[in-house]
Amino acid sequence: MVSTLVAQAPEATVLSDELRAAIDREIARFPEPRGALLAALRLVQDELGCIAPPTARAVAEIFGLHPAEVLEVLSFYNLFHTEPQGRHEVRVCTNLACSLRGARTLLRELEEHLGIRAGQTTPDGRVTLGHEECLGACGYAPMLRIGDRYHEELDGPAARALVDGLP
Amino acid sequence: MPTITVDGRRLEVPEGSTLLQALDELGLLMNGVDVPHYCWHPKLSVDGSCRLCQVEIEGVPKLQIACDTPVADGMVVHTTSERVQRAREGVMELLLVNHPLDCPICDQAGECKLQDYAVDYGLDHARTREPRRPGRKRVELGPTIVFDEERCILCRRCVRFCREVPETGELVVENRGDRSRITTFPGTPLDNPYSMNVADVCPVGALTTRDFRFKVRVWDLDEVPGLCTGCSKGCNVHVGVARGAVQRYTPRRNDQVNETWICDEGRLSYREIGAPDRITRPAVRDAEGRMQPVSIARAIERAAERIRAAVLREGPAVVAALASPHATNEDLTELRRLLDGIGTATSGAAVVEGEPDGLLLQAERAGNARGARDLGFGDPGLVFEKIRGGGVRVLLVMGRDLLAEPFLGGTDPLASLDAVILLDTHRSALEQVADVVIPGRMLAEKGGSMTNHAGLVQRVPAALEPAFDAHAEGAVLARLRAALELVLPARSEGAA
Ligand code: SF4
Ligand code: SF4
Ligand code: FES
Repeated sequence: MVSTLVAQAPEATVLSDELRAAIDREIARFPEPRGALLAALRLVQDELGCIAPPTARAVAEIFGLHPAEVLEVLSFYNLFHTEPQGRHEVRVCTNLACSLRGARTLLRELEEHLGIRAGQTTPDGRVTLGHEECLGACGYAPMLRIGDRYHEELDGPAARALVDGLP
Repeated sequence: MPTITVDGRRLEVPEGSTLLQALDELGLLMNGVDVPHYCWHPKLSVDGSCRLCQVEIEGVPKLQIACDTPVADGMVVHTTSERVQRAREGVMELLLVNHPLDCPICDQAGECKLQDYAVDYGLDHARTREPRRPGRKRVELGPTIVFDEERCILCRRCVRFCREVPETGELVVENRGDRSRITTFPGTPLDNPYSMNVADVCPVGALTTRDFRFKVRVWDLDEVPGLCTGCSKGCNVHVGVARGAVQRYTPRRNDQVNETWICDEGRLSYREIGAPDRITRPAVRDAEGRMQPVSIARAIERAAERIRAAVLREGPAVVAALASPHATNEDLTELRRLLDGIGTATSGAAVVEGEPDGLLLQAERAGNARGARDLGFGDPGLVFEKIRGGGVRVLLVMGRDLLAEPFLGGTDPLASLDAVILLDTHRSALEQVADVVIPGRMLAEKGGSMTNHAGLVQRVPAALEPAFDAHAEGAVLARLRAALELVLPARSEGAA
């Protein structure tokens, strides 16, 4: 059915020209523009640190999607964030293999050491702590990642030292 | 057309359809061939997510979902085999793993597919000891709909409805796995002119309309076929009656008219039936100019006196009528007979127009605008002209639509008439200029037929009796004609 009932116009954040151009380059690589949505969201998060609702709206407009559809994609992947994150993202894998090798204790120790709960950011904005699903490093469990880097075969002291060493 | 065999029955099915579609088109689905299903809906795209519709197809090792399996010539399907039963039981058990089982306080209870299929295929006990997933019990998704997260089985019918029918797309599933839930984007609530249909497509009690929530248990409702009279589309509805009042309209499927939908405005228009501003008793104006309640017989007699006097003095042409586009074809036929009997042709119908929405809602905001036209009650312009020019002495008015712009805009032009005879359902300024007021009935109170914008004539029965002294317009007009014929013997019976 063709209807005249269109979604209401939103206020949206403005994305930089460079970001816009990078997204357009991604779109050009796909037969269907919305195929580039995931790539575009990565670019946006890399630049802005997170994708808050107004940003999601701006992306939806570029793709001609309802912002709720962008939310659907954002919330499906836990690598996307809708709230600002700390300078360093520390994520402990708590999937089966790592948990069997003490990952949950490790995460608890880091919580105590940093004085925050998983999912929170230190007050100085230095570290966001969280857990993660399997990162494919089961043979080196327990492990965590800091940003894009893996750190494997950890124990409490090693993990604390790693976190303390972050600028 | 391919031929398939379902449970030993040979069926000719439409090429290119899926099994469920084919069964639906043949009118067999859940009506001879039971293939229970949640996510599939005849008017929405295929989702294939609930897995309840699995059937056995000979030559295919695994069970297949009937909603997404295209028919093929010679296909042999079993829907009642042991394997199919076991699959349904398995699916039901999983769907119920996190269900709160709060049927006693759930509005859907009694018309809930989860209840129905749990009775047919469910276990009578839970095998899980883990706590059930808690969820929010009262989420206001928008101004019309309340969401209960615990009851949702994530069939995504509501999501697909918003995307595919009003094309507004407010609803999505966020997160994934056992954290999946229906939600809206911040600042963009579920708010479109068809929003309440999501409560109908929801097979469980997760989506309920604010309007009907906790109002009445559905097993106390008498559901009578009816029509929405909000516009000339003539959407088919179930009129839900309990405690002597209409409690709700829900869409009644008619693939020729409204498929399975109705607009929100039409859905809520049932409120007009029980509105506090109904005209509840016949009345006539006394010598001091005050309205006095009288019996219906006396009101009709007075109307006849007025018409008779005017005709004897100035001839039949000074009698005019404005027909209601909300009246039934039967009412309007009686009006036509009456006018023919009197010998006047000055008549028309004022039809209020608005913007059509491209889906169901039509420009003409009256259920029988087309029927009125077909019966010769067209543009009322000439009647208004004649009133303004002083050529009308007695005006028979059905309905208050003429008060709206661009018609009379008010009652002033009527003040100089000898008499205004008003037949209407709701109070309006017309009562101030009327000499006789006769309370009419809404369609649900009298039944009858209406002709929709496309010329389809649809007849429905009465759903309830009004609690006050209201009369079907057609019956009143027939009595008025009878009263007049006593003194107008020269007039022949008008053409039917
Ligand atoms: S709210 Fe109802 S229609 Fe929507 S996904 Fe849940 S069960 Fe299905
Ligand atoms: S589209 Fe018209 S007939 Fe259908 S429900 Fe709405 S107002 Fe009623
Ligand atoms: S109806 Fe077929 S999978 Fe849901």
